[in-house]
Amino acid sequence: MMLTVVGFLVRAMVVLTGTALLTFALLWNAPGDPAQAIAIARFNAVPTQDVIDQVRAEAGLNASFWAAFLNWIGPLLLFDFGNSSVTGRPVGPDLWVAATYSFPLAITALAIGLAISLPLAILATRRPGGFMDRFAVAIASLGTAIPAFWLGLLLILLFAVQLAWLPAMGARTPTHAVLPALTLGLGIAASLTRIIRSGILEAWEQPFLAAFRHRGVSDRAIGRDHIGPHAAVPVVTVFGLELAFLLEGVVVVEVIFGRPGLGSFLTSAILARDFPHVQAVVLLTALVFVVVNLIIDVVYRVLDPRIGEPDA
Amino acid sequence: MRSVAVIGAAILLFVVFGPLLATHDPSTINIPKRLSPPGDEFFLGTDALGRDILSRILHGARWSLGLAFLISLIGLCVGTLIGLLAALGGKLADWVVMRTTDTFLSFPELVAAVVIAGLMGAGTWSLIFALSVTSWMRYARVARGIGLSLQSRGYVIQARLAGMSPLYIARWHYLPSLLPSLTVVWTGMFARAILGISSLGFLGFGVQPPMPEWGTMLLDARVHMRSTPLQMIWPGLAVVVSVLAINLAGDALRDALAKTERAK
Amino acid sequence: MLRVDHIWAKRGAAVALRNVSLSLSAGKTLAVVGESGAGKSTLIASILGLLRPSAGAITWDHQPVSSCRPALVMQEPRSAFNPVWPLMRAVREPVLGQEQSVTNERIARLCRGLELPMELLERRPREVSVGQVQRVGILRALIAAPPLILFDEPLSALDAVTQKHTARLIADMQQEEGFAALIVTHDLGYALAFADSIAVLKDGQIESISDPGSFVTNPGSSYCQALRDAAVALGSIEVAA
Repeated sequence: MMLTVVGFLVRAMVVLTGTALLTFALLWNAPGDPAQAIAIARFNAVPTQDVIDQVRAEAGLNASFWAAFLNWIGPLLLFDFGNSSVTGRPVGPDLWVAATYSFPLAITALAIGLAISLPLAILATRRPGGFMDRFAVAIASLGTAIPAFWLGLLLILLFAVQLAWLPAMGARTPTHAVLPALTLGLGIAASLTRIIRSGILEAWEQPFLAAFRHRGVSDRAIGRDHIGPHAAVPVVTVFGLELAFLLEGVVVVEVIFGRPGLGSFLTSAILARDFPHVQAVVLLTALVFVVVNLIIDVVYRVLDPRIGEPDA
Repeated sequence: MRSVAVIGAAILLFVVFGPLLATHDPSTINIPKRLSPPGDEFFLGTDALGRDILSRILHGARWSLGLAFLISLIGLCVGTLIGLLAALGGKLADWVVMRTTDTFLSFPELVAAVVIAGLMGAGTWSLIFALSVTSWMRYARVARGIGLSLQSRGYVIQARLAGMSPLYIARWHYLPSLLPSLTVVWTGMFARAILGISSLGFLGFGVQPPMPEWGTMLLDARVHMRSTPLQMIWPGLAVVVSVLAINLAGDALRDALAKTERAK
Repeated sequence: MLRVDHIWAKRGAAVALRNVSLSLSAGKTLAVVGESGAGKSTLIASILGLLRPSAGAITWDHQPVSSCRPALVMQEPRSAFNPVWPLMRAVREPVLGQEQSVTNERIARLCRGLELPMELLERRPREVSVGQVQRVGILRALIAAPPLILFDEPLSALDAVTQKHTARLIADMQQEEGFAALIVTHDLGYALAFADSIAVLKDGQIESISDPGSFVTNPGSSYCQALRDAAVALGSIEVAA
């Protein structure tokens, strides 16, 4: 067990270092002069060559690739993300503010997704092939085909423009979060419904369950003791993938609804060539991903003890 | 296999001949007719610059579907090669490849694509690069997994004993066994590429105006949501219908494969 | 001459072969007898170079075994052939770069020897009976005329009549081609009838090596005795009183 934990941590470190290196290499080799872009963003005017050179020196863009990389990664180990090259302020606090907008949104969306998909999948699998089942599958197929940004636009069109029930832009009140959370939540509900449904159906196909039923064990008891745990394994796996969807969705949804958060933070940083900001968001995303996948791996082993044994 | 062929042919026909059905030039600006409602002259109405929306959607298929096809094909080739390298190249190659794959997978594809495309400067080439770089991992995983399971097959051992090179074994023994599963992955990635292209277009990092890519069209349409809400419906509908069709074909293919697998 | 010199090998974490030594002269037949799990497959994999032993050496005429391009006849005849290829294509694999006409002639001759109709080779493995596929497997093993052929339970997938026929054909081909045969089997009767010497493998160790005659009269260890008595009881061998 100790060995697996160490193995996990080593893998996580490899992944995080790899991500940091890839991002840095990408930023380093991005076309165009970053110093010029930063100077434009900082002074809001076309800068002279002197100003550009000064910015270059300040932002540490004169150093060699590896020197600059080590310069950046060193303080990072102490969770110091450096200073924004546009505003000059430390990145950490600004990133934290952005995260306090994005993470609650993501978690709410996940809750909405579960609240819709779980009952829908259970209803659908009561009678496989029946009306509810077909309905659920159709909705789920449709849901996975709709791009998040378009769904968001449609919801704005319906609830904010036509009905005028809910606000669309900004994040001043909690009601401002309803449409963004719904946009993300519906998308998640679609893919979760598919997974939970097939998980339950697959669980019912285990050969020994027929014998249980034959002996008079109630469906309810079988569902609780056998179907639930069995179906939980694929659902937990997919949660890792849903997370990717969530983080992608957050970026898009924040842009549509004009919400502050990691997505807006990232897109404005890219446009302004604010490298420390871009790097910070990328690393935070990778970190969240690695941590969640670690947790999933652990939950996985608890749910299905066979996983992780040699030769399993 | 047939459903995929049908969908593939339909999309190919649409991409090649769709623009011929267009009644107007997709980029001719006609300010007096701007934001017209659907009618006889403009079947789906016009956009803010008076361009015919239907013609733009038909031409946009070349961008949205054609590029997605290209990107998913690049991912297929690159990912398969990498996966086979991992399966055949020995323990060290396997470790390096799998950790690289983990690194790439440990990041939401779209966010990575936004970062890459944004930093490279918006445009079609950076869009293709950004979405290709983020789309090879699934193929690599599938190719490696099946490759490793083939390693202990009798005929692969026989080929090794006969002195065949890893390249020969990969080409003649591995690739044919990989193709069905890779095709299923490919349909999924094709659909994802369509969504990715339109999302990047919508965020302003993708195909640039005045090209009539569907996501870019939605970005334009969004501003006029209040006055002409229908303008926002059509390009999105085009995306949904394409993605849905491809996903359904992929499902059918997977079911058919599962059936033949079971029959064996 | 094949020389297996004090090899140790692992399968996963478990030790599968302990200090195994064997030798096999050109043109001769050695049968390795043992129950499943005794380490027979590990031995084959080690000799073929598919698995590296953790200690010891395996040579053919003082060279690495791979230098003589040994061939293998497998237990599961069908799995030894790519399911979507006609058998002919697989048969040609070991002689891919060589002169077509020479290969064709050799295939025709071997087909006659193995009592295989040539047209059979145009079919796929699934369309041919298991016994016939196994004979095609032997044909492929012979095609490049290797000095050493390993047989991994060559008869166990076949029915009784086909077993006898195939065993006879292997012996005939050996007469004609002169290869050394290492036959791994759990069938003591087969080993006694066709092998020049018999090695008994148990729990990864060689229990005894002897010629068939002395094995029957004087099996040595209690395990070998039990093995012989079981074969006698089944009627697969007879012991002169």
